[in-house]
Parts: sequence; C-alpha cells; structure tokens
Amino acid sequence: MAISLKTIRHLVLGSLLAFGSLSHAQGRYYTKSAKLFFQCTKSPLEKVEATNKSGTCVLDTQSGQVQFAVLMKGFEFAKALMQEHFNENYVESDRFPRSEFRGQVINNADIHYGKDGSYPAHVKGTLQIHGESRPVEANGTILIKGGKPSLAATFTILLSDYKIAIPSVVSDKISNSVDISVEGALEPLKN
Amino acid sequence: MKHRKTIFFSLTALLVIAGGVYGLHEYTRKNADLGHVRADLQISAGDLIRKMETGGQAAERELLAKKDYVIAVTGSIKEISRDEKGYYTIALGNPDGMSSVRCAMDTMHQKGLAGLATGATVTIQGAFTGFNQDPLLGSDVILNRCVISNKKP
Repeated sequence: MAISLKTIRHLVLGSLLAFGSLSHAQGRYYTKSAKLFFQCTKSPLEKVEATNKSGTCVLDTQSGQVQFAVLMKGFEFAKALMQEHFNENYVESDRFPRSEFRGQVINNADIHYGKDGSYPAHVKGTLQIHGESRPVEANGTILIKGGKPSLAATFTILLSDYKIAIPSVVSDKISNSVDISVEGALEPLKN
Repeated sequence: MKHRKTIFFSLTALLVIAGGVYGLHEYTRKNADLGHVRADLQISAGDLIRKMETGGQAAERELLAKKDYVIAVTGSIKEISRDEKGYYTIALGNPDGMSSVRCAMDTMHQKGLAGLATGATVTIQGAFTGFNQDPLLGSDVILNRCVISNKKP
C-alpha cells in the first residue's frame, strides 16, 4: 500500500512537471517574417526610408521575454544607391550583419494571452546595431486573435548612439533621429 | 583661336552634360532585376543550409562582402506566405524541420506565384542577404529580390 501511494505521488508529480513543461512550450510564439520599417528623412524632397520583411521574433508569453533579430542587408530602399550607401558606409552590413533586440514586456501580467483583444504593451530591453548596444523602451500593442499574438511597436533611436556617422555632405537629408516600427504575426513554437 | 575656344567649350559642355546624365542615372537607379542575372551559385536547398551551418559566420561574411551574390536554389516548397500587401515569401526545405531557405519574392515578379503549391519543386534565384541560426528556430538562409527561374510539377 505504501509503495502504491509513493507511485501515485510520483505519477502526480511527473504529470505536474510534464504539464509545466508543455505549457511553457505552448507559451512560446515566433515568426520569421516580421516587418521592420525605418525612416530618417530630414528633407521633404527626399525620403530616406526602408523596409525589411524577414525579421525573426520570439515571444515567451509566460515570462514576457521578447527577441527580435533582423539582417541589415534585408532592408530594401526605393533607390539602389541609397541601399548601397546604407550597407557599405553607414551600418557596414558585412562587418555587422544583424541587429538584435532582447527585452521584456514589462506589463506582461496585464496581457490576457488566452483572450482575444488588443492590449497595450510596454517593452524594455537592449538594442544592438552596428556592434553597439543601447537600452531601448517602446510602447506598442499586442493583439490576440484566434489565440495567436501579433506584435506592433514604434520607437525612436539616435544614429550617433550606435556610432553611425552621417557625412556632412548628406547631413541636410538624413536625420540623426530614426523612427522605427516593428510588426509581426506570431505562430506557436512547437519543440 | 576662336575655333579652338569653340571646341574647348563644346567639349566642356559635353562633359558636364554626360556627368549630369550619369549622376541622374545613378541617383534614380533601381535594384537590378535578378530575373535577368546569371546566378553565381547553383545549389539545392539542403546543401545550401548545410554549407552555411558548416561555414558559420565566416561563410556568411564572405558572401555578404560580395555585392549582390546571386544564388539559384532548387528545393521543395515548404511554405508559401503572403502578407497584407500581397507580397510573397517562399520557404524551401524539408517540411518536417525548422530550417529553410527563405526567399522574399521580388515585388515585380509576383505574377504566377498564386499558382504555386507546397510540395512542388522549384528553382528560385535571389540575392544572398544573410544566415540565421537559432537553437529554437533552426537555420535559415535568407534570399531577397527573388524570382522563379524554373518550375517543376
């Protein structure tokens, strides 16, 4: 009888651990096609903006941890010359191929991931661009639809913080302040 | 003397005009249409993923240093996604794994993509954009400005 009680206790404990592990896996969502858009236009005569459609993002809904990664060569500009200057002279894409954000949804407890709706989210973390890391905070939205989260956020950074220099010859066209918007529809991560 | 002056000013004017035309052409130049470009490398999706996994960051940097390194990749369509603007991304590779070659299709070459189905074998060529490797998300080679260069049932 004593053995059978011990067995039951082990079974219950095992089931709880298994459930914990399963619910943790179910709490992770990802996309490999997050969209990032930035603009640092200074002159109304010429738009300096680009879009990247191949960002990766992972969100752990239980802990609120969120990660974004983007390949710098994936930014597409309307003008090829602008794209070449961006990669070769400004962000040096061959030396620093990717930019990464690792952070936390600060108000994660207020977001009901199991209930469809739109929730304001405050994210805080570290952004690495051009080999330089700086703290970043962003306000955004987490939309839950059909049980799946979508993220959208906007924030502003300064190029000088990331040691990206603007040559004086184009300083009237390119702003040191860059507005960035990020969005992605996430799918459950099965592992 | 007058004749010499005329020739000098004509040549100067010609040079200024040629410079202006070249400058304007460069300023307004769009990215090359990869549908008319010969690929630098022809490879299967599985071999390309393995090549990048083996070579790691060194292999990625070597390819990134080359301007517009065009790869023609042949593989089975694992996933076709279309965003709200109608732009397609096609992933080639093993449907059971997380790894793939992800091809962001050129917006000028969207015609005919709606007819593609998962499981079909295609050859897609695009500009090498980078390599992502993650313990959770697998290994992905990213190609941009992609075009279908060959389609098999």
